[in-house]
Order: sequence, then C-alpha cells, then structure tokens
Amino acid sequence: MSGRGGYLLRKIGWALLTIFVVITFNFLLFRVLPGDPAKSGLRDPRLNPAAVESLRERFGLDKPVFLNFDGGNPFDSQYVAYFGALSRGDLGTSYAFRDQPVSDLIGQALGNTLWLILPSQFLAIIFGAGLGLFAAWRRGRPLDVTALTFSLFMWSLPTFFLGIILLVIGANWFGLPTSGRITIGANFASFWDVAYDVGRHLILPTLTLTLVLLGEYMLIMRSSVLDVFGEDYILTARAKGLSTYRIIRHHALRNAILPMVTLIALNLGFTVSGAIQVEAVYSWPGLGALTVNAVGDRDFPVLQGAFLLIAVAVVIANLIAELVYGWLDPRVSEA
Amino acid sequence: MSVLMEATAPPTVEPRGALRSFLHHRMGVIGAVMLLIAVLVAIAAPILAPYDPYANVRVNILDIYQAPSGEHLLGTDDGGKDVLSSLIYGARVSLIVGFAAAAIALLIGGLVGIVAGYRGGWVGSLLMRITDFFLVIPDLALQIVLVAIIGPSLGTIILVIGALGWTTTARLVRSQALTVRERKYVMRARAIGAGDAHILRRHILPAVLPLMLANMVLVISLAILSESTLAFLGLGDPTVISWGQMLNFAFGRGAVSAGAWWALLPPGFAIVWVVLGTTLLGTALEDALNPRLKRHHLESPGSDVARDRRVEELEPRELTTPSAGAVAAPRDPAAPAAQEESARRDEGPILRVRDLSIEFDTPSGKHLAVEGVSFDLNRGETLGLVGESGCGKTTTVLGIMRLLPPGGRVVSGSVWFEGDDLLSLDGPALRSFRWTRLSLVFQGAMNALNPVRTVGDQIAEAVRLHAPGTGQREALDQSAELLERVGIGRRRLNEYPHTYSGGMRQRAMIALALACDPDVIVADEPTTALDVMIQAQILELLGGIARDLGTGIILVTHDLGVVAQVCDRVVVMYGGAVAEENDAATVFREPQHPYTQELLQSFPDLAHPDRPLRGIPGAPPRLDDMPPGCRFAPRCPHAFDRCREERPPEYAAAGGRAACFLLDPTGPREAVPSAEPRP
Amino acid sequence: MSDATLLSVEGLVKEFPGHTSLADWVRRRPAPPVRAVDGISFELRPGEVLALVGESGCGKTTTGNLLMGLLPPTAGRVMLDGQEVGELSGRGLQRLRRRVQMVFQDPYESLNPRMRVGDIVAEPLRVHRVASSPADLRDRVARALTSAGLAPPEAYVHRFPFEMSGGQRQRVVIAAALALEPSLLVADEPVSMLDVSIRAEILNLLSALAKEQGIGVVMITHDLSTIAAYADRIAVMYLGRIVEHGPTRQVLTDPQHPYARALLSVVPVPDPSVRRTPVILSGETPDPSRIPPGCRFHPRCPVAFDRCPHVDPQLVEVGEDHQAACLLLGDGTGRATPNSEGEVPESAG
Repeated sequence: MSGRGGYLLRKIGWALLTIFVVITFNFLLFRVLPGDPAKSGLRDPRLNPAAVESLRERFGLDKPVFLNFDGGNPFDSQYVAYFGALSRGDLGTSYAFRDQPVSDLIGQALGNTLWLILPSQFLAIIFGAGLGLFAAWRRGRPLDVTALTFSLFMWSLPTFFLGIILLVIGANWFGLPTSGRITIGANFASFWDVAYDVGRHLILPTLTLTLVLLGEYMLIMRSSVLDVFGEDYILTARAKGLSTYRIIRHHALRNAILPMVTLIALNLGFTVSGAIQVEAVYSWPGLGALTVNAVGDRDFPVLQGAFLLIAVAVVIANLIAELVYGWLDPRVSEA
Repeated sequence: MSVLMEATAPPTVEPRGALRSFLHHRMGVIGAVMLLIAVLVAIAAPILAPYDPYANVRVNILDIYQAPSGEHLLGTDDGGKDVLSSLIYGARVSLIVGFAAAAIALLIGGLVGIVAGYRGGWVGSLLMRITDFFLVIPDLALQIVLVAIIGPSLGTIILVIGALGWTTTARLVRSQALTVRERKYVMRARAIGAGDAHILRRHILPAVLPLMLANMVLVISLAILSESTLAFLGLGDPTVISWGQMLNFAFGRGAVSAGAWWALLPPGFAIVWVVLGTTLLGTALEDALNPRLKRHHLESPGSDVARDRRVEELEPRELTTPSAGAVAAPRDPAAPAAQEESARRDEGPILRVRDLSIEFDTPSGKHLAVEGVSFDLNRGETLGLVGESGCGKTTTVLGIMRLLPPGGRVVSGSVWFEGDDLLSLDGPALRSFRWTRLSLVFQGAMNALNPVRTVGDQIAEAVRLHAPGTGQREALDQSAELLERVGIGRRRLNEYPHTYSGGMRQRAMIALALACDPDVIVADEPTTALDVMIQAQILELLGGIARDLGTGIILVTHDLGVVAQVCDRVVVMYGGAVAEENDAATVFREPQHPYTQELLQSFPDLAHPDRPLRGIPGAPPRLDDMPPGCRFAPRCPHAFDRCREERPPEYAAAGGRAACFLLDPTGPREAVPSAEPRP
Repeated sequence: MSDATLLSVEGLVKEFPGHTSLADWVRRRPAPPVRAVDGISFELRPGEVLALVGESGCGKTTTGNLLMGLLPPTAGRVMLDGQEVGELSGRGLQRLRRRVQMVFQDPYESLNPRMRVGDIVAEPLRVHRVASSPADLRDRVARALTSAGLAPPEAYVHRFPFEMSGGQRQRVVIAAALALEPSLLVADEPVSMLDVSIRAEILNLLSALAKEQGIGVVMITHDLSTIAAYADRIAVMYLGRIVEHGPTRQVLTDPQHPYARALLSVVPVPDPSVRRTPVILSGETPDPSRIPPGCRFHPRCPVAFDRCPHVDPQLVEVGEDHQAACLLLGDGTGRATPNSEGEVPESAG
C-alpha cells in the first residue's frame, strides 16, 4: 500500500483528523471561553429559575461537557450530542431569525459565497500565474518591476479599502449596483433578466477579490518560476536546443506549478479573509456577511455554524490541492 | 553541487555584510523611513493634532462631513470631528497593535519553531501538526469569532491577532533551526562534547534571531492589516480611535453618498502607508540576511557574447589560413613533434577555440574569469581540461557552448566549430546546432534531468526536436536503444529520474547526450560525485563511445588520474588561463610548466605509493585578486622578478606549449620591452 | 611508538530501525533493521594511522560516529585505553570526548561563519572548562593553531572563516580538534573537499601529528590513492564488514580479497604509460537493508563459486598481520580458526 495509494490514504486520513479537530475546537470555543454565549444568555436577570432550567435543557446544557461519569450512559454528554446533531445536519436555530434553522441560512449563504469566490479564484490564478511567469522570465526588466510594485501595493491595500474605492468608482462612473445580490423590488421578465441583474451585481465584488488575490498569486508564481529557472534541467533543456517557449511549456511550467499548488492551498485562509471583507463592503449575502451580521446580532448559533463550515471547506479545498499535487508530481510515492 | 556553482555560487553571507547589503537595498531604506515617520507621528500626536479627538463635544448637525478647509485641513467626519486629528491619533492604535501582536506572535512562533526544529522527534512533529492546523484555519474568521466571544477591547485584539499570527514565524524558524542543526559546525560542536544549551546559545540562536527579527517586521504589517480589518467590520475597541474604525463609521454612515472622500481616503491611505513601509523594510531585511541570488538559465538570451564587432569581421580571414601561425604561441620549428602536429592539423580540428576571454559581474566589479584561452579538439579525440576549482575550466566550456549564466559574457575571442563561429550564431541556428553537433554531460546528473518527466520522454524529446517528423513511438524506441547502449535495461525507459541511482542517472545523461549523434560531447566532472567503481564504469562507457562512435570528448576534471586513463591530449588551466597544453603522455612524462610539475608532485599515485607527496603552498588566486604577472608566481618555487611583473606568453615546449618565462628561447630573465611576443 | 593499544574495537555492530510503512505496520510486518556496521574489530596503537576505506554505504562513516561515541553501538564495544566507550555517560563521556576528536570532511561547512577563528578553536576548551585562566586559554589556542600550521597564531585568531582559503580552514578545524590535546583523531574524508594541490599538505600535517605527538589517527575515506602514502594500515570495508585488513604496502601491492583487488585495479593512476587491466565490477553496492546471504560480496564477485552464497567467510590470516575474508583464502572454510577438515576449492585463483 505504498506509493500513490498510500499518499492518497495518508492525505485523506489527515484531512479527516483535521476536520474532527476543527469540530472539537469549534465545540469548545463556544463552551469554554469566557463569555460563553449560551450561559451569558441564561444570566439574563429577567428570566426566572424555571425558565433558565428549561432553556438549559433545551440547549442540552444540563449535561456534562465531554463524557458522562455520573453513571448511566457515558456518552450522554454535550460533546457527543453535538456530534449527533452535526451528523443530522442540525446546527441549531438562529437567535436573530427565530424560526430559521442555522443550516438553511448557511446553505443559502454558501451558495452566494461560491458564486463570488470561484470566478475570482479562477481569474486570479490564470492571470496571476501568467503574470508571475512573465515577470520571472523578464526578471529585473520594466514589466517585472511594474508587476512587483503592483503586487506590493495590492498587498498593502486593505481589501475592504480597495472595495470602497472600487465601489465609489463603479457607482459614480459606471453606474454599477454596489449592494446586495439582486435589485430589490424589480420585476424580471425572464431568467435571463435575473441573470443579467445578478451578473451586474457580481462585477464589483468579483473585481475586488480578483485584484487582491492576483497580486498574491503573481508573487508566488514568480518566485517558484525563478526557482525552477535556476535548476540544472533547464540548462540541459537549453543545451538540447529547445526554444525558450518549449523550455517554459515542457520543462518549467509543471515544476513551477507544484509549489504554486501547495502555496495556493496554504493561502486559502487569505481567500476567505478577502471574501469576508468584500461581502461586508458590498453587502453580498454570503457566508462572510452572515458571519459579520451574526456578530452584530450576537447570534452565536449562526456564528458557530458559519465558522465550522468555513473551516471545513478550507480543509477540504486543501485536501484537493494536495491530491492535485500528488497527481502532478511523480516523486510523492517516495515520501 | 551543480555544474554552475563554481562560476556563480553566491558568496556566503558575512555577518558584517548583512548591514552593508541592507543599506544597498533602496526599497528597504525607503520602508524604514516610512515606518519611522509613522512612529514619530504616533509619539508626537498630542503636539501635532490640531484638536483632541477624544474630547467630548456636542455634535452639531452642521459640523458633519464638512469639506476640508483652513480650520479642518482634512474636513470633519460623521461625528463632526476633525479627520486630521483622528488620523494622527489613529497611528498610535495601529502601531501599538502591530508591535504588541507581532511580539506575541514572535514569542510563540520562535519557541515553537526552535523546539520543533532543534528537538525534532515526536514533540517536533506534534508541534508542526498543530502549526499546520492553525495554518489551515482561516485567520480572519477565527479572529472574528474570538473577538465576538471575548469582547472587543484593545488587549483582546492584540492577544487574538498575536496568538493567531505565529504560524508563519514558527515554520520559518523551524526550517532555519533544522538547517542549522544539520550544519557540519553544529555536528562538530556536538562531537566536541558541547551540550544542547551551548549549541543553542552559540550556534542556533545567532543564526535564527536575525531572520526572526526580519520576519517580525512582516508580522507587524500583517497585524496592522488585521487590526484595521477587524475595526472596519465593527469589532474594534469602541473606546479608541483607529483607522479601521474611522473607515467603518464613515462607510457605514453615509460618507459615500455624501461624497465625503476626505473621511474615507486619508485613513485608508494611512493604513497603506504603514503597511507598505513595514513590508518594504521586512522584505529588504530578509533579502539582506538570506540573499537568494538565484541563477536564471533563461535570462536575457543572446547577451552572453559581447565581443567587439570588428573582431568578429576579421575572424573569417584567420579561418582561411588555419596554420600553426594561427596559434598565438611562437613555435619552435625544430620541435620533434612539429611534423606530426601539422599532419594532424591537415585533417582539421573540429573545434578551435581562439583567445577566448570571459568576464563576470561580481559584487566587487567585473572580473575576467577566463583570459585568452586557445585550444583545438580533433575529430574523435579525447581532450582533458584539467585544473583546480576556480581555474575557469567550467566557465570555458559553458562559454563555448553559449550557456554562460547571467552576469557572464564572452568579451573576446572566437570559437570555430568546423566552418561556423559559434559565438555569432543566434536563435534557430544556435538551437539546431545544439545537441546535434555538441552535447553536454553534467557533473550533477541528479538535477540535470527533469524530475517530473520520464527518462525516456526526455531522451525522445531531443530525438524528435532535431529529427522533425519522427513519431513519439519511434523516438521512444530509439531512446530505449540508447539506454541499452549505456547499460540500462529497456524496462526503465518509462521511469522517472528519482527511481534511478546516482550512477544510473549519469548513464542516462550520457544516453541523452548521444541522442542526436553529436560530433563532440563535453563532459563536465562526469564522475566527481560517484564512487570509484561507478567512476570506472562511467569512464569505460565514455572510452567506448570515443572508440566506437568516433565522438570527440572534452573531459573537464580536476583528477589527473582520470585524465591519464582516458585522455589523448591535455590542457592544464590555472587562474583562468592555459598553463600548458600537450599530448597526455608528454604532460605526465615531461611536464613543462612549474604548475603542472607541482601538481603532479602533489597528486597521489598508487603505482608508486612510496613517493612522498608535496602540496603546493598557498591557494589558487581569486578572481578579484589576480596577480599582475604570472598567475602562478606567488606559489611557484622558480619564480623570479619578471614573473611577478609580466604575464608570460605561451612558448613552444616539448611539442606542446606552456606559459612560463623559463621556456623563453631568448633567455628567461630578460624582460622583453613588449610583453607581446606575437609577430 | 609504544606498543600499548590505544583503541580497540571488538565485534562492533550498529543497526538502524528499518522504515516500516503504514500498510506494513497494519499487517504486523515491520521492516528488518538496517545493519550499517556488522561486526568489525580492529586495534590502533598510539601514533598509528589507520585508513578505513570503502564506497558509499559500506558503513565507514557510521563506524566513525561509533568511535566518537556519537552513536550507541547495537553490539560489541569500543575501548579507549582500556575504558569502554559505550558504557560511559555524563561526566565519563565528557572526559572521553576530550580524548577523541574529529576532523570533518568539509571545512567550508564545519566552521560557524559567525565566529572568529580564535573563538572556534577556543570553543572545545570552553565547553570542557579546561583553561585555568584567560591567559591559559589564549596560550592553548595559540599552541593549537601553531601545531596545525597556522603560525604566527596572532595573525589568524581574529579572522572569520570566509577570510581564509580552504586549506587554512581545514587547519582551523584541525587546530580546534588539537586544542584539547586528544590521543585519538577520527578524520572523516579530511581532504575530499579540498583542491588537489592543498591535500598533500593537510595529510602531511595529520601524519606528522601522529608521528610526533603520538596521536592515533583513524582516517575514513573512499579514496584509496590519496591516503595510501599516509596510512600505516588499511582496512577495506564492504557492506558493514572489514573484508581485508593489513599493512598499507601489503594491501596495496598484494591485495587478497577480490573486492579489494577490484577496487585497487580501478583507481586511476596519473601515468598514461601504466596500462592496467581494471576489474570493473558490474552493478552497485546493494542496499544495506538487503545484505546478500553467505558472502555478502558474492553477487558481484568475479571469482564467486557454488559455496559463496551459503558460507559467510570470516577474516583469516593471509600474511603477517594481514587478514582477508574470502572462502578462497586460508583453509577455505571461511572460519577464523584453522580447520583441517575443510576442503579447498579447486577454482581458487
């Protein structure tokens, strides 16, 4: 079971373990830290003891945290109950939207976030990798210097501030919508009208997120291409008489993409952070906006659920990146 | 060690050099100044700010969003307060959070990194697993959750940002500690009997701390960004004024629709200013401490030749008279080998190198790495290019092959391959010349093959490139035959280089070199990293190729034994120039140049194990410190005054040539007015 | 040169745990241990230079680390002046370290670039708190530098390693080793990273130290020719064993073991007029985790015969103080003690 199969199993196993730790971590976060949301809610002086007790029961807070040592079923605990609820897709009920299950709220938000992240990620990778490759090839030339300066500036620019600037420009000069997913109260004649309206709403958020990610990816690609250009096999390829285009296409690109895949995976947190800010600026009803609003409403079940979903999504995306790496690099079977 | 390291190895970082190289980094200095300005503004805030933003004032509806005026240089905000004053006071919060959070991150990260890197073992891997875990969790999301639960105060924000920002520091410190731990000087300290405390204090920390500080500057910029983001999202400490919060209020309270750009742009650009400054500074510090002068094999193609144009035009005339006169050395007509020599010349050497000089850019200026090198290679001949490290032998062959690394260029001379001047070939002509006429075997076959493509594929690529119309199947068939020719079974064709052993990779490299049936193969230290038995196998293989296929071979090596075993003729190089050239038998029997004589004296000989070995005192000259006269004079036992003042030309000697005044037919000690003995 | 034994190595074995993959672990099939050193014995007198020669993977570097007490042996023992190295710990090991010092391969890597030469040479003295006063420390450093040929010492103590040539750096390494006035030096490939013209000087220095100060030197190398003129005795190693051991001259001029013969025959000689017929062995040294049964050299041996895969030969006397481990030698039983009943194979020679 060595070789690629082993690599695959190891990575999947590690991802599952990480998800398990994430869930536990998430569970503890909302139960152990000072200012435990459920408890602080229960301390409300307006509640009489009986009401507190019924609330405690409703939230399952009367049970022990990890394992039940008082005799009876040892697994009758909050921790086990949390896993049980998770396995049924039950993330609790929102405080702010009384009757809405958290899972429904998060489900809608996730879809919207993907609509924002996927195109931005795609555009940023394509253009970032292309620019990075070109900059590395022309190291020290004007194009490289321009690209580097751009990346440095993008890096120093807070994402939300870039969002504000683009929002002002987009709204005043191009008349683009700056808030929400769809024009509220408009009557749409057909599906295409809806798509057109949503598309217009997507332009500014996507542009912002793409620009932010672009600089980052360009830097990563530039440095990994530079590493590859220094390798002896590039010299061999040159000595063999290959044209520059062929050397890049057949020898440099695949090797340069390897570290790029890893680094993009490691930078997924950066993507999420960008998405949260973009959603906040443009009121895009995704996971980020949901999280920020939940903080304002002190809606802890939603906060907990959203954080869990974000963390698990990043772990899974990371796993995908590692599997792609294993598929691209024949040497992983050695590891 | 790769083929190019000799020529382009970056100088090791000297402790004192780091400061100097930082000062040379213009962007770093700019960044430091930008940060310094921000720090001064923060400290002097009460003096600089025209109003006190913390003072309680009653909001007058008319004061809100006033445009900039003499009274309010940057206008007023949503609460009617002076934007400039808030901006100046905001610097305090940004910098306090930045520095304090970075200090926490540095402490945790440094500790985790050093323990994980130095201790290693299960503790180390557990710590790295934890680091990986935190690396995967999205920072901002977790920061939001934590601040929301604990409550937004400045202390909480600092703690949360610091406690989540240590992962990159930990990774960096760990990898540095790991490298240093494996360094020979740490192993030596351990062998001495030094304990962990001593090693950590004397060896690990001095190496890790500077990098940690550079990293801290970058962590500061991240912390400042995080703080402003949290504040913008409404999670800032409500009791203090920060730039993120100013933007939050302005953006949330209608500054956009009011057209109050003065409430939005200044705090935004203030953040950019501080983050840009710290980033520039941090990047420059990292560069200075950990210079990565990367080689770049694709940089500026075509700039490796910078000869004088006129020389180039004159060259073809020399070609029409390819006689002994073309060789720079005045030859002794009475030399016994002269006739044989001219007979060989009639066949015409396949490769003629004339007066080749190669220059390198170094931090201390331009230096000639190769100066006036001339030699011939006849068809089917094996020529040894011998010398110690830094003598220019590798640079010479790279110059000939037009593969000089960036910063190196041919400044004069010519390289004739039959009728073509290699140095004036370009683009497609050069590409189609490569590998079909002249191919290359590197020292480090480890890295000379592309790790993500199969060995067969890489050989087939060369076959197909130079024989258009060949199908992939056919090319792979030929590759399999080539592999069999070098003793590798056909079944290894579709395997990747990492599955090959060191010796097999070198064989595969030779198979690759043979792919297009070249006239000449240049083998640069082909056996240096290999065991003596594998070396024997490779040398036998190369010998067989020269014998059976009539391929000319230039063997670059420092090993006189290898030369004696396989070479027909020898060029001995020293300090970037040819010291002596002759047929192999004569070089070993009657060495003419004192360097060759001394080198043979110091070279061990199993056939005569009782002969005492004698080293040559001193060390080979460095590029930036070349003696003015004979390059070998400082180490030469026969040197006299003239040797220290004048460069010796090449004189005919024992059928070959050697650059030593002792061989001057007009008497060695007579200084010739002109150092140039050529007609 | 005294006759007392300085260093004595008896039946030294070092095993490293094999790498067991997850799947093998589940199937309870742990990988067999890798025997890097498989029962070697030798002795060294003060002032004597012994060369441990072999190709990569023969276990010579592991042997060096065992001699230094840097690794604990799996079996067997290393005795220095009658004291067993493996049994020492703490203080005792510290005292041993003062008596055994190591010279490393790569002078460019084995000196801390951030330390001055004086500090580098003083480091072992400080670690062992040997010097009685700062003046004494300076004295000892100066003596060590002078012994290593860096005279006058004042000219060198303030330099950084990068300000020195490769040969000078290796002298600094040697000076640091000499500072504690050791009785045994283990030199692991002391010259392989140096230029040819520098090597002889460093080797002359090491051999002079042995002869003049009575220091025992174990030189570990893959390069037979370089050490030939300096070693008193040579031990040829193959896959964790010493296969031939004897006085330098005898081993060089009359090698007995087929591996030693092949190895000697392929060492290039800087004289084109010497035409030899090299015995080029095919293939490469096998992985130490898969040592062939019987004689470990038999799969590559040009003169192997039917018994070789079955009998593991021990070292037998083949001359005065000269031993080799081959079934074709001695009485052919492959046993160290003469056995009259063993038959001598006819394919000998």
